[in-house]
Amino acid sequence: MLWAALLLPLGSAGTLPPDEALRGVATWALQFTPRVAVSEEAVLFEVEASVRLFGGKRALRDRVVQEGADLGVKSFAWATNSLAAHALARAGIENGFKRPLDDLLDGLPMGVLSAVGPHHSTLSKLGCRTLGDVRRLPRGGISRRFDKDLLGAIDRAYGLQPDGHTWVQMPDDFEAKLELMSRVEMAPALLFGARRLLLQMCGWLAARHSGTTAFTLKWAHDSMRSKEVGDGGELTIRTAAPSRNLEHLCRLLAEHLAKVELEAPVGDLQMVATEVVALNERSESLLPDETQAGESLQLVLERIAARLGPERVLRPVLTDDHRLEWMQMWQPVPKPLPRKAIDPVDMPQPTWVLPIPLQLSTRNDRPLYQGLLHLLTGPHRVEGGWWHRLGEGEGATTAHVQRDYWVALSEHAGVLWVYQERLASDETAWYLHGVFA
Amino acid sequence: MSAVLSWAGDEDALPALGLTSTARSRTRRSQPGELPPEVEQALWRGCDFGSQGGTVVSSGFAALDAELPGGGWPCQALSEVLSPQQSVLEWRLIGPALRDVVSRGGNVVVVGPPKTPHLPGLHHTGIDEKHLVWVQAEAPAERLWCTEQLVKSGSCGAIVAWLPQARPEQIRRLQVCAQACDGLTFLFRPAAAQHESSAASLRVVATFGVDWEVRVHVVKRRGPAHDGLIHLRSFPGGLDSVLTPRLLVPSELIAARAPSRQRTHQGPVHALGGPAASSRLGRHATAG
Repeated sequence: MLWAALLLPLGSAGTLPPDEALRGVATWALQFTPRVAVSEEAVLFEVEASVRLFGGKRALRDRVVQEGADLGVKSFAWATNSLAAHALARAGIENGFKRPLDDLLDGLPMGVLSAVGPHHSTLSKLGCRTLGDVRRLPRGGISRRFDKDLLGAIDRAYGLQPDGHTWVQMPDDFEAKLELMSRVEMAPALLFGARRLLLQMCGWLAARHSGTTAFTLKWAHDSMRSKEVGDGGELTIRTAAPSRNLEHLCRLLAEHLAKVELEAPVGDLQMVATEVVALNERSESLLPDETQAGESLQLVLERIAARLGPERVLRPVLTDDHRLEWMQMWQPVPKPLPRKAIDPVDMPQPTWVLPIPLQLSTRNDRPLYQGLLHLLTGPHRVEGGWWHRLGEGEGATTAHVQRDYWVALSEHAGVLWVYQERLASDETAWYLHGVFA
Repeated sequence: MSAVLSWAGDEDALPALGLTSTARSRTRRSQPGELPPEVEQALWRGCDFGSQGGTVVSSGFAALDAELPGGGWPCQALSEVLSPQQSVLEWRLIGPALRDVVSRGGNVVVVGPPKTPHLPGLHHTGIDEKHLVWVQAEAPAERLWCTEQLVKSGSCGAIVAWLPQARPEQIRRLQVCAQACDGLTFLFRPAAAQHESSAASLRVVATFGVDWEVRVHVVKRRGPAHDGLIHLRSFPGGLDSVLTPRLLVPSELIAARAPSRQRTHQGPVHALGGPAASSRLGRHATAG
């Protein structure tokens, strides 16, 4: 048996830590094992069966210590039973496997066992200071003079009697609150507190074998705010693919928080997992999978879209039109491409286009663009679009085009795609529309 | 450096292997100035390229591949393309390499291009809608940030970024990130950046030639300095299917037109235009 005890800091007057904090840590711990119990100020869990899944004892311990410290855990201890782990954590000894458990426990002050508490003064008058002293007293005498809990607790701590626990049940919905240590005035600074909540959420998601596609961070302004400011605000973050990757969610949240402006200092945070879906995990393989080494492209583009705005991370879609402006359109990346693919035209087409054609000046009826243009091939007539109405009502026009396209060569500007259009009263004008780059 | 070291190692190894008498006799028989094959093999010459650590993607031009260390555009490193003008030759130069990337299922991500990419034209270089992403980054800081995120993720087949205002320390940062990125990374920068230092492992200056050419000069590479220009013949956007033999050499066409214009039109405007045309002609003669 491999028990871990995680101790949360006590309140200022020696009171137990708030229930929410304990529940938060317990929820997070559920990702390691279903056998999690809360006892006074400690969260206890048994991980013997999970050691291999998390990459060995050393890796598991490092992860628990690192993430636990983020959650505000004060001290850790590992031992063969829960009571011993709890006692060692209180005494500040982390490793309960360094020496035989009896030796370790004998040296601890007797106060580390809660069952000693009611009889502390009597025992100290008897000359006991350590657990070893208490254990060496005659058993018959202890059970007669003190209550049965003391002897039972000592037996359980030394592993002579089995433990009994009430396991923590996993909540069906994730909702966690956090009171910030100090008032926060800048939105990005909320991330520190939000990370703690995210850590709990990722633990809860891992325990449920799911990922989230949307989660909400709510904040409450503190009571000293001015009157016109509301109670607080909230921010919902959506992801394209379900995820419980802490770093990814944290960076996504950071991008969104960077844009938020707080109206008043914030005192409390709350996080809710709004949409949770089952996540299919990649199986652990003996041979490392090379393609999965980095972050997937989808995740990066999502983060870029979070900063720049989704309308600026685009993918092209071909449309069935022969006019250059409507040959393709651009849509945000997460949107799926249409199922019916359009065959691309096999005519020569420029590789860059100008969003609005540029009118060129002319000399002797020949277009100029960084010098005289030499028309190479053409004309390529593009005509049509009377069916395509732009705008509504009075100002409606049709996107009708009647153009002769030419491939033009400039000695400085490269190979260009220019067109000649007939204007009113037999005038013509030349436009630059694309570049063959 | 490593090549020199290995050569020194080989020298030590020769006595250990025990040169047989036949080998000695062969050494004696070789002509002065001609090295025995085992020495020839281990010898590193000043004109050889240094050892290229990572993989490369062929540029699609044999003449260019011959001048690039490893025989292509490097993965896990930055390739800087400097050109005097934007949006004149980008796809022509890197298109064949991108075709290779896309055919292997890699994505091409374009960061902050100077104009709108036109997919029907890019189809001719083998890029399709499933493998092209356009990131519209405008401000210099945005361009850098997006490029860095993409490079760090290492999940793109090719990253093509326009960074007109990047500073040397920012390029260095990208180069460090790129060492862990398996895809190609192209940075397009103005030709003026040629005089700044840069951490990119490959820098080329590309200019446009009238006769369907891209002229490339390698400014920096892992190897000896490069002299002269490489002339690469490329037809953009599927134009090769419509060009007549006469149009394959537009410089002759232009040259043929220029004097005729001078002869037929007499006027103040064309008196000015004449010398300009002839000076252009002269430049072509020297460039050719």
